[in-house]
Amino acid sequence: MKSKAAMIHGLNQEWSVEEIDIQAPKKNEVIVHWRAAGMCHSDEHLVTGDMVPPQEYWEFMGLKDFFPMIGGHEGAGVVVEVGPDVTDLAVGDHVSASFVPSCGRCRYCSTGRQNLCDLGSQTFIGGMITDGTHRHFQKNGEPVTLMAKLGTFSEYACVATNSLIKIDKDIPLEAAALVSCGVATGWGSATARAQTKPGDTVVVVGVGGIGMNAVQGAKMAGAKRIIAIDPVEFKREKAMEFGATHTFSSMAEALPAVMEMTWGQLADRVIMTPGVLHGEMMGEGMSLAGKGSTVVVTAISPMTSTTASINLFELAMWQKEVKGTIFGSLNPRADIPALLDMYRSGTLKLDELITKRYPLDQINEGYRAMRDGENIRGVIVNG
Amino acid sequence: MKTQAAILWEVGAPWSVEEIDLDPPGPGEVLVKLAASGMCHSDEHLVTGDLPFALPMIGGHEGAGVVMEVGVGVSWLAPGDHVVFGFIPSCGRCPSCSRGHQNLCDLGAKMGGGRQITDGTARHHARGQDLSLMCILGTFAHHTVVNEASCIKIDNDIPLDRACLTGCGVVTGWGSSVYAAEVAPGDTVAVAGVGGIGANALQGAKLAGAKRIIAIDPVEFKREKAMELGATHTASSMTEAVELIGQITWGQMANKVIMTMGVGSGELIGQAMALAGKRGRVVVTNLHPALESSVTMSGLDLTLYEKQLVGSLFGSGNPRADIPKLLNLYRDGLLDLDGLITRRYPLEGVNDGYQDMRDGKNIRGVLVYD
Repeated sequence: MKSKAAMIHGLNQEWSVEEIDIQAPKKNEVIVHWRAAGMCHSDEHLVTGDMVPPQEYWEFMGLKDFFPMIGGHEGAGVVVEVGPDVTDLAVGDHVSASFVPSCGRCRYCSTGRQNLCDLGSQTFIGGMITDGTHRHFQKNGEPVTLMAKLGTFSEYACVATNSLIKIDKDIPLEAAALVSCGVATGWGSATARAQTKPGDTVVVVGVGGIGMNAVQGAKMAGAKRIIAIDPVEFKREKAMEFGATHTFSSMAEALPAVMEMTWGQLADRVIMTPGVLHGEMMGEGMSLAGKGSTVVVTAISPMTSTTASINLFELAMWQKEVKGTIFGSLNPRADIPALLDMYRSGTLKLDELITKRYPLDQINEGYRAMRDGENIRGVIVNG
Repeated sequence: MKTQAAILWEVGAPWSVEEIDLDPPGPGEVLVKLAASGMCHSDEHLVTGDLPFALPMIGGHEGAGVVMEVGVGVSWLAPGDHVVFGFIPSCGRCPSCSRGHQNLCDLGAKMGGGRQITDGTARHHARGQDLSLMCILGTFAHHTVVNEASCIKIDNDIPLDRACLTGCGVVTGWGSSVYAAEVAPGDTVAVAGVGGIGANALQGAKLAGAKRIIAIDPVEFKREKAMELGATHTASSMTEAVELIGQITWGQMANKVIMTMGVGSGELIGQAMALAGKRGRVVVTNLHPALESSVTMSGLDLTLYEKQLVGSLFGSGNPRADIPKLLNLYRDGLLDLDGLITRRYPLEGVNDGYQDMRDGKNIRGVLVYD
């Protein structure tokens, strides 16, 4: 079948919307009509190269070429065709994307860590998870890779059932799209990973599509003070609506204030969710954290950077801990439906996250707006 | 195809070993040639009626064997693969499976019916009747057809007569100590009942670093066996154990108490709680009669000493992670499976095996098929 899709052909290029050809789904695959796709910062990381493995790694990773790639890994849509032997999804089912697949069988899936499913190792490699072959082709007949095996910046895509979560039909697909990555990642960073407890003081560094949900998560977990840090005034105002009690434009500005409001105790949890996390930001982030505190690293750092400014004396003597997280340490198959049910019951804000909607053709305008700090989340909507 | 199976036709009857008709595997199902089956106390509960399942039923739920044929849609198993059956299926998709509690998989709801998970029909038939399967497995047979959700693929070098024990008893006992009780280094742990489950609770407590492990069992042979599996002290009754634990802990009592008897009794819970000290945790792993609804214990103990009473199924473990994990511990010499097997029987010896179990002669009897 034919579909329109937004792809990038190389670093620092614009998104190019082109017609592609999609082959029929094989075993354990389905065709999804993506109805809504979140414009997450991670797709921008493909453009800037922060999340592109350096060329010298490609052979080791089994990559011939990284590009072209259809973007998009936050999405929700409707199943329009199923491959042979697919028993857990049917035509007409509503599905959320899951940028980490979950096989349900590996050691990690079997111990409540679906976010670390072994199939995730194939995220950047072309072809399907199922058998490694391609289903998506450019006009010139060459195959094209899908971001996170999902390619939600396409009207249609062939996706493995391991990457899809069935959701109830009364949930708006835009809401589901946001939950599939950014909301779960931010919310889980504050709850499952940081283990925010009632009465805690929580600092969230960077309140975009991820950080805003870390603020929501911290609030739901009962934090007493939630300090949102962002240079953009519009985002600081928005953070107050999502549950922040204080905002600052920089970590330097926040430090004396956090010191004062906690009587020198500093924060119990610090969650790092800036657009790009550079190593030299870590020291500043950790200086906001008190004795016995937890610092969660959620944001993407440049893939090849290997240094961080951390005072190891304080790490040991103040018994701080630094923890990484992917997908907020949640389990896609349990937690995407659970978060959508919180939305349904009014305890999780999703509609308020969407700043603007764009048709697929205007994807470059959407990313410009993100770079300029105009959006919490832009959403691509396909009719 | 035709094969042999041990069938329970009515409560209180002996197991009847006879020829059955076995249909080929349907979609999502697998035909397995069984190599061995553990003789767990839960199958005896079928005979006594403590587990009121629909009869006639093929018994057995601790099985291991080799895949002979896979049905449509089974993509991760192939003929020749060695498998252990998880006594609880694990779909890998439901909320419990997704959060690391595969032992509570939603498919477990299908176990009472004993018919195939996919469509609720039977693949096993005898005397013109459909047969149910214990735990949807039916391992007291030379062959069976089960859902792929019940199959755990294992490495081919593990002996199947020992591997079969990890499908139920070993993980249930080991996990009761490690996962449900959360035994920590230095703990004092009491294990009440040293059979196929309790023997592994002892091994789990030892590996988790318990300082003192008190095994309680009325049968002398089992108390001796317990000392080989990691116990530091033994007692022949709960009454004897209270005094012993009081002495060796200077009155602090046990940090963890694990109940792994043949059948539990609500009247014994108070005695179990009495073995536990402040913040002590009592884990109930053994089955209680299905219709029992009262427990005798001091509620004040719960509040004032912050004691905890928790239940555990399959040792609160995850079949797909823990069966391979424990088989690796066996390979590394950190888990004794060989010493658990007291005696081996052919399928025709199933009633002799259960008589030996009732007589307290076995830690675990195993049916071995050729």
